[in-house]
Amino acid sequence: MRSPEGAWRWLLAKEWRELIASRAWWVLLFAIGPLVGVSFIGAVRTYAELSGLNGAAAGVGEAFSPLVGVWAPTFSACELAAAFLLPFVVIRVVSGDRQSGALKLELQHPTSSFARMTAKATVLLAAWMIASAPPIVAIVLWRAYGGSLYPPELATVFAGHGLNAALTIGLAAATAAIAEHPSTAAILTLTVTVGTWIVNFIAAVQGGNWERAAGYTPTAMVAEFQHGLIRLDVVIVASTLAFLGLAIAAVWTRIGVPVRRRSYESMIAASLAAAVTMGSTFASASWDLSENRANSFSRSDEVALKQIREPLRIEAHLAPEDPRRVDLERHALSRLRRTLPKLQVEYVAKTSTGLFEQTAAHYGEIWYELGGRRAMSRTTTADGVLETIFALAGVTPPPQVEGDVFRGHPLAVPPRGAATIFYGIWPALVVAGAFFVHRRHS
Amino acid sequence: MLQVSRLTKRYGSLTALIDVSFSVRPGEILGVIGPNGSGKTTLFECLGGVLPADGGSLLRDMRPLTAAERTATVFYLPDLIAPWPTETVGWALRFVAGFWGPAPKIVADGGVGVRPETNSHVPKLGSDSEAIEDTVRRLELEPLLDVRIGALSKGQRKRALLAIGLLTPQPILMADEPFDGLDLRQTREVAQTLRHYAAAGRTMILSIHQIADAARVCDRFVLLSGGRARGEGTLAELGALASSRGAAAGSSLEEIFLALT
Repeated sequence: MRSPEGAWRWLLAKEWRELIASRAWWVLLFAIGPLVGVSFIGAVRTYAELSGLNGAAAGVGEAFSPLVGVWAPTFSACELAAAFLLPFVVIRVVSGDRQSGALKLELQHPTSSFARMTAKATVLLAAWMIASAPPIVAIVLWRAYGGSLYPPELATVFAGHGLNAALTIGLAAATAAIAEHPSTAAILTLTVTVGTWIVNFIAAVQGGNWERAAGYTPTAMVAEFQHGLIRLDVVIVASTLAFLGLAIAAVWTRIGVPVRRRSYESMIAASLAAAVTMGSTFASASWDLSENRANSFSRSDEVALKQIREPLRIEAHLAPEDPRRVDLERHALSRLRRTLPKLQVEYVAKTSTGLFEQTAAHYGEIWYELGGRRAMSRTTTADGVLETIFALAGVTPPPQVEGDVFRGHPLAVPPRGAATIFYGIWPALVVAGAFFVHRRHS
Repeated sequence: MLQVSRLTKRYGSLTALIDVSFSVRPGEILGVIGPNGSGKTTLFECLGGVLPADGGSLLRDMRPLTAAERTATVFYLPDLIAPWPTETVGWALRFVAGFWGPAPKIVADGGVGVRPETNSHVPKLGSDSEAIEDTVRRLELEPLLDVRIGALSKGQRKRALLAIGLLTPQPILMADEPFDGLDLRQTREVAQTLRHYAAAGRTMILSIHQIADAARVCDRFVLLSGGRARGEGTLAELGALASSRGAAAGSSLEEIFLALT
């Protein structure tokens, strides 16, 4: 009998053929071009207007970063595709064997179901990379327009969407393996996706543990990558969940194994994943790869902050939906967490909106405690927070260094030729490819 | 070669197989005969490892086979499947030969079917393409090689499936209803092909509900009814058993089956 290595190559070839024979794959390819096109064209137009095109005040776009202005919206099309199109491709590839009966034949080979699932995941990841061609075309166009590119932040965005796709592949593979029918698997996958949105919604209202959990949802993860931030704990959690999905899929596609044993093995895999997830919360390393250091204080501020050795405790009397809390978290505390490992933040609020707490004593106050000393401030800006902390720690605020200020890359150019490529050439190429492949198969 | 010992399978409160036991001899074609619902497919799925059995075992030299040993020994070809429906018959055959490894070569004298697991002789493995060509020719699949499996008729699909089974290297092939969907001429030709492979050393266990088809191709029989094995042996042995239970001497397989079940 063929060795597992030799057989795996045959499996890989088979999975690839299954993929390109599936209509779901061609629909994904067809749709992602116009989706990326709409986002890219809209983003470039807005960017151009803010940079002074068509008589807009030039200079508004100063400090405007292509990462936030162009790539985050352009790549958001990939997030849509990963949430609503990719699951159907995955389910087709995983369920197809069971529906046709091929699974009963293939599983009589000594190759393990884990190896089979790895072959499927490899092909699906390759499929996702091919589906990422339109964003690459957008990057080429942007460069042709004279736009600035900063490869580390672009690579971060790509990595984030790749990880999101891997999560989707793991989830959809697991549901496809557990559910008897592909439509059930599709419903289950979309239910989980919508469930993560509900977690985000509840987190915004309730705060607390919900907020912490929401930090690990695909939406939050992608948002961080889109801002050029890579957090080790998020990468570990997302990778673990993707592997868990594939492991569960491998467990449930085996034949001749009682349901009780498969459930038991799935629970063991889930427990291991939970342990890794819990452990990853202690991994505080993160890397800000954005050109404008969107997730970091200036270098001189960071040097000054690192002089603070004592634990810093912050108690913010702000409700979860209070815009000041959002400002405080986004512009100051998220950066502070990356710089000060011994930071403890606690939010205090009786309501979710804070509307009826405005007159309550202490509402809106932000208390800082460092080495037994306490200070109160109501400012939620990054500069205000730093000023309070430096004063409390007795650290002299560093002077602003000119080189630390990001001046932006304004570009007042319309998206020439993009519509033709994304709405015309790309769909035509995909239709031609689908026609060619299906003619070869028939 | 193999022994099935007290195999039992339950679906909730329904017991589909009750203590089914029989033996399989090398190079024979063993027919498992029974009416619809007698438990033939369940028996095959348990033996093929597709379904978990609730009791009993598959023994070789009085020792239960491990899952890996079973995978290396038995290949189960299910009924009513259309694997890889978007692929052509030719591709499927190449895939099976490539995925499972070189198929055994049928030597020129029509003799030895060489299988590493069963034969102590030096293996004479044929190339994948030789084995495919031989199987295609015997099952008259040439006109179908470029046709998608999903587009085949029932009878065509059955022959393509049989080719897939015959290309696998396991020494025992279990085929569920191999003649279902075939016309009389095709049934005779397929039976002849199966006999050829059995003569070359491959052991076959066939599940057949048409008793006339079974009588045409099988060396020995296991009669299955109501989830129980009611008899096992050659036609003569089963005839003797039936006679002892009051059936007329020289009965046909149909009469023997009716007498014993």
